Amino acid sequence: MAKAFGIVNTSGNHIWVEGLESHRTIGAFSFLGRYRVIDFPISNFSNSDIEQIKVFVRRKPRSLIDHLGTGRHYSINSKRGKLQVLFSQNSSENDIYNTDIAAFYENIDCIERMHEQYVIITPNFMVFTQNFDTLLQTHIESEADITMLYHSVDNAKEMYLNCDLLNLNKQKGVLSIEKNRGTAKNRNISMDTYVMKKDLFVELIKKARKISSMYTLAQIVNKECEELDIRGVAHRGYFATITDFKSYYDANLSLIDGKTAASLFDEDWPIYTRTNDSSPTQYFEDSSVKYSVVSNGCLIEGTVENSVIGRGCVIKKGAVVKNSVILPGALIGENAHIENQVVDKRAKIIRAKEVIAPPEKPGYVRREDTL
Amino acid sequence: MKQNNMVAMILAGGRGSRLHDLTNKVAKPAVSYGGKYRIVDFPLSNCANSGIDVVGVLTQYESVLLNSYVSMGRRWGLDAKGSGVYVLPPREKADANLDVYRGTADAISQNIDFIDTYNPEYLLVLSGDHIYKMNYSKMLDYHKENKADATIAVIEVPMREASRFGIMNANEDGVIYEFEEKPEKPKSNLASMGIYIFDWKQLRKLLVADMKNPDSNHDFGKDIIPTLLNDGKRLLAYKFKGYWKDVGTIDSLWEANMDLLDKKNELDLSDPTWKIYTEDVTTLPHYVGAEADIKRAFITQGCVIEGEVKNSVLFTGAKVGAGAKIIDSVLMPGVSVEEGAVVTRALVADGVKIGKEAVVGSADSEHIELVAKRVKGVE
Repeated sequence: MAKAFGIVNTSGNHIWVEGLESHRTIGAFSFLGRYRVIDFPISNFSNSDIEQIKVFVRRKPRSLIDHLGTGRHYSINSKRGKLQVLFSQNSSENDIYNTDIAAFYENIDCIERMHEQYVIITPNFMVFTQNFDTLLQTHIESEADITMLYHSVDNAKEMYLNCDLLNLNKQKGVLSIEKNRGTAKNRNISMDTYVMKKDLFVELIKKARKISSMYTLAQIVNKECEELDIRGVAHRGYFATITDFKSYYDANLSLIDGKTAASLFDEDWPIYTRTNDSSPTQYFEDSSVKYSVVSNGCLIEGTVENSVIGRGCVIKKGAVVKNSVILPGALIGENAHIENQVVDKRAKIIRAKEVIAPPEKPGYVRREDTL
Repeated sequence: MKQNNMVAMILAGGRGSRLHDLTNKVAKPAVSYGGKYRIVDFPLSNCANSGIDVVGVLTQYESVLLNSYVSMGRRWGLDAKGSGVYVLPPREKADANLDVYRGTADAISQNIDFIDTYNPEYLLVLSGDHIYKMNYSKMLDYHKENKADATIAVIEVPMREASRFGIMNANEDGVIYEFEEKPEKPKSNLASMGIYIFDWKQLRKLLVADMKNPDSNHDFGKDIIPTLLNDGKRLLAYKFKGYWKDVGTIDSLWEANMDLLDKKNELDLSDPTWKIYTEDVTTLPHYVGAEADIKRAFITQGCVIEGEVKNSVLFTGAKVGAGAKIIDSVLMPGVSVEEGAVVTRALVADGVKIGKEAVVGSADSEHIELVAKRVKGVE
C-alpha cells in the first residue's frame, strides 16, 4: 500500500512556449511522436505504485482531458486508484494571481481529504523518469521535512533559464531556491519535485496565502529553508525541461539518438500513453528515411532525416523533412521542403515549397494551418 | 449503445496445422498478422464496429494465450454495460460427460445456455481465422429484408479455385438451393465465408436435435445447412465484396502480409471509420538508423531498423541490425536479425534470433521459408 498520493503541477506563469501553448497546456504537448509530456510524470507515479493522482490544469484543458480520459491506460487500478483532474478558476484581472498555490488552495478540501500520509508533487513540463517509491523511502529514512529532486548540469548558462536552481550545502541540505539567471555553468537545477507529509503541504499552502497572493510553492519552500530540514536528492538519467519553444524542439530531437533514448526509456519502467489504434506505418517505393523516430499510422513516400514524426502523418512524394518535429496528423505535400520546423497537429503544407528556418531558431507551423 | 438483438459466436477452436510451428503453441486465431494485429482482432473489431455487444469466443486447441487475449473485451471497446467478450472453452456439465467440441455446430450446441441468457433474436456465427472487414449489421438488414431463415455470406472466387471451397448454388434473387462442400465440378463460384446469421429460435431447435443424432458430424457445412435446405427453409446468399483471406498456410499468411504493401490494398487498415483494434503495447515509436534503407515496407512501433528493409512487414519490436537485409519477408513480433544477416522470402516466427551474417531463405524458392528456431551466425 502506497503511503503517498501524487500531484502533477502546472508550469508557472513565467513559462510560455510560443505557438504550441496557445492550444494546450504543456502536459498535453505531443512528445516524441506517440507520447504527451504528461505521460512521463503519470507513468512515474503508476510504476511507483502511487495510484491516487491529481492533475492540476490551469488553462486550455480540452487536449489534456481528451488524452487522460479515465486514466485506465496508465495501468492504474480502476477501483483502488484514481486520476483526478483539478481545475482552478483563473483570475482574469492579473495573471500574477494564477499561481500553483492559488490552485492548491482552491482545491484544498480534495487534498486534506486524502488518506495517504505523504504527497509527491512533480511538474507537467519536465521529461524524466524517477522511481518515486525509492524517493519516498529516502525521504522517510532521512527524517527530513521536505525532499527535493535536482539535476546537476554543466550548461546552465545557456539552458534551463526559466527553471529554479537549488543552492545546496555539503550535506545536500537546501540552503535556498532561486531563479537560474544564467550566471554560472554548473548548477543544480530544481526538478520542481517535492516529497513531504500531506499535513506540512497543507500548512505551507495556507501559510503562503497569508504572506502573498503571488507566492508559488517554490517561493514558500525557499522561505522555509531556514526553519525546515529540506534536502536535495540528485537525479540521474535523462532530464529535459520544456520551458520555451527551443527546449521543446531540442528535447524531441535529442531522443532520436539511441543512447540518449536508452537513458530515458527502460523496459522495466514503461511509459504509458493513450492508444490511437492506428495501423503500422507504410513506406512506399520512393521513401528514404534516415536517423528518425517514426510513429504508427504514417504514409511515407518522401525523404525524412533527423526528425520525429507523429502518428498518422503523410509525407508525400518528393517531400523533404529535415531536423523537424512533425506532430500527429500533419501532411507534408509533394515536393515541399521542411527544415528546422515544428509542424503542429493536422497542419497541411501543400502550396508552400520551402519552409526553412535557421537551426538555432527553428520555425513553427500552426495547428490545423494550411500553407 | 442500442443493442441490435444479435449475439455473435466466433469459432476459434481450430489448430491451423498447415501453419506448422506457428501454431504449435497457439491456436490459429491468435497468430500475428499485419505488424501489430492477431487474426482474431478482425472478427472482434468487426463485431465492435457493427454494434454487436455480446461476443462469445469458442476456443479449444491450445487456448491459454487465446483465452487471455480475447477476454480483455476493452481492447475492442466491448466493455460497456451489457457488453462483453466471453471465452467459452468446452466444460463439464451436470447431465453430460465432459466433451470436446465435436464440430462447429456442436460448439454452439454446448453453449445454448450461454446464448439463452441474452435471449437474442438472431445469432451470428463467425470464423476466428479470417482476415477481412465487414459490417455485420448490413448483413443483418439483408437477412431481415429478405425474411430469410438463415443468411450466409459468400464471396466470388476464381472458378478454377472454387473446388477448394464450400460452394453455395443460388438463384438470381440470392436464394440458395444447394450447398456443395469442395465440389469437383463446381456449378458456381460463390464460396461460403463461414459467416452465418440464423434465426436463433429455429437454429436452437435444430441444434438440440443434431446433438442427439449419432450420424451427424455436428458441423454447420455438413449437417446444419443441408438440413435447413432439406426442410425447405429460406437460405439467402449475402454477397460480400472486398478483401477476404483465409490464411491456412505459411505461403498464404506471408501473402496476406505482402498484400498490405500495395498502395491500393483493399484491406486499408488506416481507414479511420473502420479501425481494427488490438492489444495496446507500451513501446517507443520505431527508430530508423542513419544507415537504414527502407522501401515498400509496413513497420510498427518498437522496431529498430539499422539495415535494409525491402518489400517486407515488420511486427512489434522487430530489430534489424546494421548491414542486415530483409527482402520479401515477414518478421513476427520480437524477431532480431543481427548485423549483416540476409533474410529473403522468409517468415520468421515470434522472438526468433537470426545471428550475424546468417543467410536465411532464397529469392527463387517455391515456398516461403518458415524460420521458427534460432539461426546461429558468425561468432
